Amino acid sequence: MSIRTVATKDFLDARRAKIVWLVGSHYALLIGVFFLQVRLDGLEGQSGLFAALWNMVFVGAVFVPAIALVAAYLAIAGERESGSIKYLLSTPVSRRDVVIGKYVSRAGIVAASLLTGFALAALLTVAWFESFQVSVFAGVVFLTVVYALAYVGVAIAISAVTASRSRAMLGALGFYFATNVMTLNDDVSGLAGLEYVLNEVLGLRIADDAIQFIGMVTNPTRAYLVATIGVFPESMTEATELPTAADLSWYVQPEVAVIVLIGWLIVPVVFGLRRFKRADLS
Amino acid sequence: MTAIRTSELTKRFGPDVVAVDGLDLRVESGEVFGFLGPNGAGKSTVINLLLDFVRPTAGSATVLGYDSTTEAQQIRQRTGVLPEGASLYERLTGREHLEWVARANDVTIDPIPALERVGLSPEAADRAVGGYSKGMTQRLALAMALVGDPDLLILDEPSSGLDPTGMREFREIVRAEARNGRTVFFSSHVLAEVEAVCDRIGILHEGTLVATGTPADLRAGLDLVGTLEVEVASVPQEVPLETIDGVQRATVQDGTITVSVVDPTAKIEVLTELHERTRVLDVISENASLERLFDTYTATGGDRRSSDDRIGDPSTEVDR
Repeated sequence: MSIRTVATKDFLDARRAKIVWLVGSHYALLIGVFFLQVRLDGLEGQSGLFAALWNMVFVGAVFVPAIALVAAYLAIAGERESGSIKYLLSTPVSRRDVVIGKYVSRAGIVAASLLTGFALAALLTVAWFESFQVSVFAGVVFLTVVYALAYVGVAIAISAVTASRSRAMLGALGFYFATNVMTLNDDVSGLAGLEYVLNEVLGLRIADDAIQFIGMVTNPTRAYLVATIGVFPESMTEATELPTAADLSWYVQPEVAVIVLIGWLIVPVVFGLRRFKRADLS
Repeated sequence: MTAIRTSELTKRFGPDVVAVDGLDLRVESGEVFGFLGPNGAGKSTVINLLLDFVRPTAGSATVLGYDSTTEAQQIRQRTGVLPEGASLYERLTGREHLEWVARANDVTIDPIPALERVGLSPEAADRAVGGYSKGMTQRLALAMALVGDPDLLILDEPSSGLDPTGMREFREIVRAEARNGRTVFFSSHVLAEVEAVCDRIGILHEGTLVATGTPADLRAGLDLVGTLEVEVASVPQEVPLETIDGVQRATVQDGTITVSVVDPTAKIEVLTELHERTRVLDVISENASLERLFDTYTATGGDRRSSDDRIGDPSTEVDR
């Protein structure tokens, strides 16, 4: 009940913020652009569809975290800076209700923004590629939503442990760079650095899969990318440089990646909540 | 019954700043308690402790019988709060603010009368609060604090941002609420306003309570003097003003005679005395003010700084 009052009020407030609409409309826009690119490349039917869906995954991997972080990083820290959190906490709600209510509200906003994009994707798929692979489409939609909410959870956690807007922004940007921008290029990613230290410097000969597993657990973007391998039929992943599921150890299978991703939904928020419960709000 | 009780309540921020220092405070149910102190005295920190916005370093507090750290939700259920220096949600309307607080308190509300009660017009109900003036925001915040008919009202510097008329209206509302049997905890650095509203006053200075009592009690506790300034056409020679009963001291400067009196009735005798000897041009009479009482209690030893001097001092800026 209390979670609901926090979420309802926050939803009402946040959906009037221009920034939310600005970033929220981006996903559908990007989907449109990437589908158009496939269309202009002259790909049709099945191959066009898979190329388009594969694009959707990459749009997701890079832009969804940005949308999620921007939509949620000020949820609590902004209220602490403006002091309005005192009004919020003057009503009979607990700090747990505040964190979870904010999470629910911002997750709803991000999910609504993604669903608009998916609806557009579905329309374009039927119109341009004349085939609609329900299972692949549904798989991408499911994983992208979980992935987005994982980043919303991280943003809420960052927002819960920081007392000012600027610190929350720094935290959100830092997390985005560390887990996303840097992973685009394997030469500068933290994981490549880790592998270099473990295998080249220390000579431990850790298997690639083990390194991948560390990557999944420490980075939702890697977990998302591994998880999506399981969604696409092998006929399609063969054409890419990505490993097929059969080549991978059991602990880096797409199913495990899904579980890791679901862990990302919960663990950061629990951490943020624990810190927020003890924080001095003054 | 006791509405608010703190024992040995202490809050430190970092190793150097003691915002609240072993505070023992007792506010009885049904009274209007004025919590008075200069900026930086620790008033807001005490309120933040009572509402579990900050956690005590030592000691404890109960509000309406509930422990402030473990039963905060029960306290919030029965307490209306007007926090200091906090903004409302600028994208939400006045009506939406009230409806949200009502929903959170599990009550229903008719927003228009609730707004009119605090002097806001019905048109304000559907305007976003971002367009409100400071005074309107403060009125809305009071209306929000009154939602759900709370047993206790905690008002932190409620008159900030209000013009003199607004302040008077505000005081009238507070007095009316108190007549309904509500306990009001009213923090302010404005003496006149506290004196006008409160049954009892506690003066906070550097995190400790330096005095409590009714305004009259506090006055009586000190030999407070009133002053009479008389402007005269010519200063008469040898006026035996200091021999009048109740007169403490008389000084002359540039045609103005300043007389300090312990007993206000001595003032008229001074005037009569002067009137017989010269032409009186102007008379300014001041009662022993709470201002002076305030200064007396809060000045530390020979270091009699006024409250304003303390505003810029970072080591004591612990309010909020």
